[in-house]
Amino acid sequence: MLKSIFDSIGQVTLFGARAIRDAWYPPFECEYLLVQFYEIGAGSFLLVVASGFALGVVMTLHTRSTLVQFGATAEIPIFQSLAFFNEIGPLVAALLMAGRVGAGIGAQLANMRATEQIDAIETLSVDSFKLLVVTRVIACTLMLPLLTIFMDAAGILGGFLSEHIWSRLSFTLYMQRAFDGVALADFLPPTLKTAVFGYLIAIISCFFGYTTNEGSDGVRKAATNSVVVSSLVVILADVILVKCIFFLFPDQAI
Amino acid sequence: MNEGQSGVAIAFEQVEKGFDGRKVLDKVSFAVAEGEAICILGRSGTGKSVTLKLMIGLLQADAGKVMVEGKDMATLDEDGLAKVRRNMGYLFQSAALFDSYTVNQNLEMPLHRLDRNKSGEEIKCRVEEALKEVGLEKDGRKLPSALSGGMQKRAGLARALVLRPRILLVDEPSSGLDRITASEIDDLLMKVKTEQHTTMVIVTHDIHGARKIADKFAVLDQGRLLAFGTPEELDRRADQHLQAFISER
Repeated sequence: MLKSIFDSIGQVTLFGARAIRDAWYPPFECEYLLVQFYEIGAGSFLLVVASGFALGVVMTLHTRSTLVQFGATAEIPIFQSLAFFNEIGPLVAALLMAGRVGAGIGAQLANMRATEQIDAIETLSVDSFKLLVVTRVIACTLMLPLLTIFMDAAGILGGFLSEHIWSRLSFTLYMQRAFDGVALADFLPPTLKTAVFGYLIAIISCFFGYTTNEGSDGVRKAATNSVVVSSLVVILADVILVKCIFFLFPDQAI
Repeated sequence: MNEGQSGVAIAFEQVEKGFDGRKVLDKVSFAVAEGEAICILGRSGTGKSVTLKLMIGLLQADAGKVMVEGKDMATLDEDGLAKVRRNMGYLFQSAALFDSYTVNQNLEMPLHRLDRNKSGEEIKCRVEEALKEVGLEKDGRKLPSALSGGMQKRAGLARALVLRPRILLVDEPSSGLDRITASEIDDLLMKVKTEQHTTMVIVTHDIHGARKIADKFAVLDQGRLLAFGTPEELDRRADQHLQAFISER
């Protein structure tokens, strides 16, 4: 059992390393890459923005009920923005992507394997790994930070709406309070760490989809494993990356 | 068999292939002459599809040589493999059409990838021509999911033929199809064979179709080549085990 877990970790690591290596060599499959940018980025946009907005509203409601006891409701905007920039935006966007994109990649590649589409690509002398895996890895890695920014923005907007309904706080004042005291180090490292999340989600999902060979049952397993494992790995990676951010930006840890 | 030997399109020399310790092909040798059609017969799991995948370089032999048009497939680099594959078409058992592409796009892909000198207009014409050959000229804009099983097979055949290959590999052309549709696919293969003199290797369980198309049969049993020869030659053999594979009854 333990041996097979380490064996799988080794295989995924090699798979991920191959994707990084192959990304630098032509052909770059630009046309297919653009399709992946669209499917992963634009396809997840509404989900991420709607979730961010709803979370922003709910977060403000919860924060308000606590802060009102200390007479600190004026701090709601900064709480909201820091919570979203530091953790909620990056982590929730990554988990949403693991659910939507991870399952999609796992199922699609496993289906392509089961129906011999990957073999068909190879018969055309096209490197199926570059076409199917590398393009998805690049798209996920670059799109997740962008989606995180949209999630942060939607969350802060949701927070404003909630706060505006309660206290009639103006948009300008809310934004002023939300960004007052927010340093670049509060925003940039947590947003950039989502590139690592995107890479991990894509590698894990592609691995399960690309390497399966079990027909329709393989499709089911690949979709499930892609979501479960990539979500778990994202959460574990978050712990490590937050520690790294605290190490590199000590002010963040205070 | 020497490299470049004329008249031989494909040659297997003492080829062995195994998976997870199980030998699927054991010292298999045969040769397919240019323009010849051979049908590989045998039970499921006896290495028929593996034989096709070895021919196009999707798999590598564990031992022995797979020669295609005089080239040893094991020694080819990516460019060499691309050159050999340029002259080969492969019809998969499931047709293996790219399901997110339309039929037209499925046919355009090999031309874009392996025939880079063609202009957009030339590619469009060639696609229309290939679809017309298989009777799907009105279905080019459809996605594979909108096609019936027989139409998917025909679209797969059109994709395999779009580059006008010298060698066509066909995996189970009649699987999952009714008798009439299977017969239509057989007729299309016959047409390709007679009009384009394409070398064909067909894996099939359908002995009726095989007898219609094949110049020779290769019968695989438990990883070994049980018999190789023309249908008439094999019919004359008194081996009951062999007759079970090639008899139409």
